[in-house]
Amino acid sequence: MTDTTNMDRRDFLATTAAATGALVVGFWVPQRANAQIIHPEGAAWAVDPAIPEVNAWVVVAPDDTVTIRIGQTELGQGVWTSNAMMVAEELQCDWSKVRPQYASANRDAREMAPEWTLQVPGHGAQDPNGGGVPEFGERKSDGVNGIPDTLYRRMRTNGVGSVRDGRYYLQLAGAEARERLLLAAAKTWNVPVDELSSANSVITHRQTGRTTTYGKVAALAAETPHPHPETIRIKPPAEWKLMGTEQKNLDVPLKVSGKAEYGIDVILPGMKWAAVRSCPVYGGTVKSFDFDKIRHEPGVISAIQFPIPDPSLIRGHVFGGGVAVLGDTWYQAKSAIGKMPIEWDIPPEYAARNTANIRADLLASLNEPGKVQVNLGDCDAAFRSAAKIVDATYSVPYLPRARMEPGNATVLVTGNRVDIWLGDQSPQETRRSGSRITGIPESSVYVHLCHLGGGYGRNGNGPQAEQAIYVANQNRGTPIHMLWTREEDFVGTTFRSIGVARLRAALDRDGWPIAMEVRTATDVDAPGQTTGFDVAPRYFAPNYRFSTHSRKFHIPVGTRRGVGAPAQTYYRETFMDELAHAAGKDPYHYRRELIARTTLPYKADMIRALDMAAEMSGWGKPLPKGTARAIALEEHGAEGDGMATISAMVHTVSISREGKVRVERVDVAHEEGFRLINPLSVRKQIEGQIVWFYNDAMNQECTVEQGRIAQHNFDQFILSRIVDTPPEINIRFFNTGHWMNGMGHDRGTSIQSAIGDAIFQITGKRYRDLPFRNHDLTWT
Amino acid sequence: MAIDLTVNGVTHSVDVAPDTPLLWVIREQLRLTGTKFSCGIAQCGACTVHVDDRPVRSCSMPVSAVAGRKVTTIEGLSPDTTHPVQLAWIELDVPQCGYCQSGMIMAVAALLKRLPKPTDADIDAGVTNACRCSTYHRIRQAVHLAAAKLSTQVGKL
Repeated sequence: MTDTTNMDRRDFLATTAAATGALVVGFWVPQRANAQIIHPEGAAWAVDPAIPEVNAWVVVAPDDTVTIRIGQTELGQGVWTSNAMMVAEELQCDWSKVRPQYASANRDAREMAPEWTLQVPGHGAQDPNGGGVPEFGERKSDGVNGIPDTLYRRMRTNGVGSVRDGRYYLQLAGAEARERLLLAAAKTWNVPVDELSSANSVITHRQTGRTTTYGKVAALAAETPHPHPETIRIKPPAEWKLMGTEQKNLDVPLKVSGKAEYGIDVILPGMKWAAVRSCPVYGGTVKSFDFDKIRHEPGVISAIQFPIPDPSLIRGHVFGGGVAVLGDTWYQAKSAIGKMPIEWDIPPEYAARNTANIRADLLASLNEPGKVQVNLGDCDAAFRSAAKIVDATYSVPYLPRARMEPGNATVLVTGNRVDIWLGDQSPQETRRSGSRITGIPESSVYVHLCHLGGGYGRNGNGPQAEQAIYVANQNRGTPIHMLWTREEDFVGTTFRSIGVARLRAALDRDGWPIAMEVRTATDVDAPGQTTGFDVAPRYFAPNYRFSTHSRKFHIPVGTRRGVGAPAQTYYRETFMDELAHAAGKDPYHYRRELIARTTLPYKADMIRALDMAAEMSGWGKPLPKGTARAIALEEHGAEGDGMATISAMVHTVSISREGKVRVERVDVAHEEGFRLINPLSVRKQIEGQIVWFYNDAMNQECTVEQGRIAQHNFDQFILSRIVDTPPEINIRFFNTGHWMNGMGHDRGTSIQSAIGDAIFQITGKRYRDLPFRNHDLTWT
Repeated sequence: MAIDLTVNGVTHSVDVAPDTPLLWVIREQLRLTGTKFSCGIAQCGACTVHVDDRPVRSCSMPVSAVAGRKVTTIEGLSPDTTHPVQLAWIELDVPQCGYCQSGMIMAVAALLKRLPKPTDADIDAGVTNACRCSTYHRIRQAVHLAAAKLSTQVGKL
């Protein structure tokens, strides 16, 4: 295959650091080998090492600097550091000399994983000597809901799976590199390898006290295969030295100096910018646009229409059609496209949609048979013999992730190669899109991962990559940086589905449930519909029925932070508060007793979490008028005996007579499983998610008007500020002796029910529709 | 039309439409990409820079309005990441995704110039930038830590 790139293009070979100090990425388009991509200080993407690697995860330089390849994406959840810790723990290297770098998704297309990474050692969630069984453990080639056999296995970052599903092979990768470094030293000294030990990048021959460093033997280790890698074992938690300690995130210095290279910051020589306008109604298309009206605006180059519904331009969901305008600068392109007349072709059945008729449809679906997920005992009979029936209907709105960095990607397509710079949660999928849209094989698609300005549930994915690839493919040879406005970012996303739920309980004379019935309704494609209610009730009822109901709407839905947990934890925990009040019992003791009556495998941990949170909060101690406490359980996986994450929180909430809500303090009892990888990262996740879900409870909703999402920027879609943040957050961990699910997305959901119950306790008013800012919270 | 402005102590002459927002001159003409774009309507503060030592949301300030004035971006806050606010941010490991933090740090640095010993209420009122990862809990602690570092620095002078 010949390189069709013209010679001019190679003129911008070298990195040009602009006089002002900007990070300008230079590169050359190679005739045969990999791109030689210059690595600015704040860049995160893979570079080929000048020195041989020990294995695909570990490169040790002669000065003992250790580069660790990270297969997942840093979204702020700490994976850049925790993944490096898992490798470094086993490698036994000097942590202060570790430099993370993203693994190459291109290399992942060309190499298969070493055989020794393919098997999970250990025997399930309760076995400290192994990995547990990963939730996405099935070996699937697409890397979406399974782990592929390609080099870096699962590169997708979702489902709180980075630690859970990657730990066993990342620990193995570190251990294999360590063993080979020891073998190389043994070969150098001509001594048996079992006389050597290593710590902090120093190898010691115990008999003679002789030492060397990893950096000195790394080149030899690169040529020294391990004879039996399948025999290498990973350390159980009791042997961890680095894992389990609080480590600051390795990217923080770059993020406080403006040096971290986000996707939006990529500048290539000769690059042009694209601004986009998409149909404001999902599924609508471009009827016509008038480029002549803006052709002579400053900097304007051309306009390109997206051929929606071309399925190659979308990833899983149908978005609206749209137009991109190319310009010399983004501000010019964006200003021009704002002036360009565009007529949309909007299906009338979509335009007829609004929040009220969508919600009415969902409420109607609750009265249909639905899909029965669980049916234990005989609910109907129990309801007939109830002393009291509690019946409540709740609703939650559509919600976007609204990450801070608007969608963007920079793409260069040449005759035989695609280079893509972006923050991305699924580089394997982006690589596939790059190939599908251009016809260039995946082995020639290079995804250069940048820092990512928030993800919160796959917002780091399409269709920004697909749009940019499409425009660049129409302009081969010119690097194209496509950037959305904030308004466009609200259109180019998927939403947490609008949802409604009706929960009914039959109580006996003492106020205990003899039956519970749960019906939820969402968009049929909403993920996580059974979370929190599946298999068996978390709070005991001898008769239990759970059914899911649905309709299909045109608003695209997807995995927003927490997936099904935020809505369903809100329904479940609010309903438990309502039952406790109906029974005249303390909501903490009521929950505790009902968990104790279950046979759930993790019930002891659930009770412990409640007890610890209650104790931390001073549960039962008097509070001033206008202040109330509410308790709730958060669980992920409590229904089975696989991995689980269990916690409980008590929120102390005050409400002024004018209706101003303030969360005064949050007491968090959180499990640490066998052991947390980086407890500092976990604390930060809990602190952040409490406020994230405060927003869901108090502030945020997207409504639908004439088929379109009505909110497009932060003046209408409210983000909390520091003033809304609880002044006191207390977090304590307890050990449960099992492997945990993960920490990145469904912690802190209980603030929703807690604020709702505090409103009830203080004002006497029970609101069941989020967000609470829509309601009158005043009291006298 | 050429407009002169001084950014991080260096005077530049840029040829842009006078209503071009300062943010885009900083990012596109001067290629200082530490200052971020997020909302474009002065809501979130990701684009905060200092103009004559006061915090300004640069996405909504026309470049013509800063002609001849002194602009400081995150790149100019300190030459080596040693501004007390940056040090406090590192010490308490504040950032998560980090995208808002350039603007947040600039807002806090300006607040501390005005109020060297802010109370929690001062911080609540004075720091109105948005952080989607909601790192506010650590930000509040880090503002106090930065204030303490600043007072030590001042004491040494």
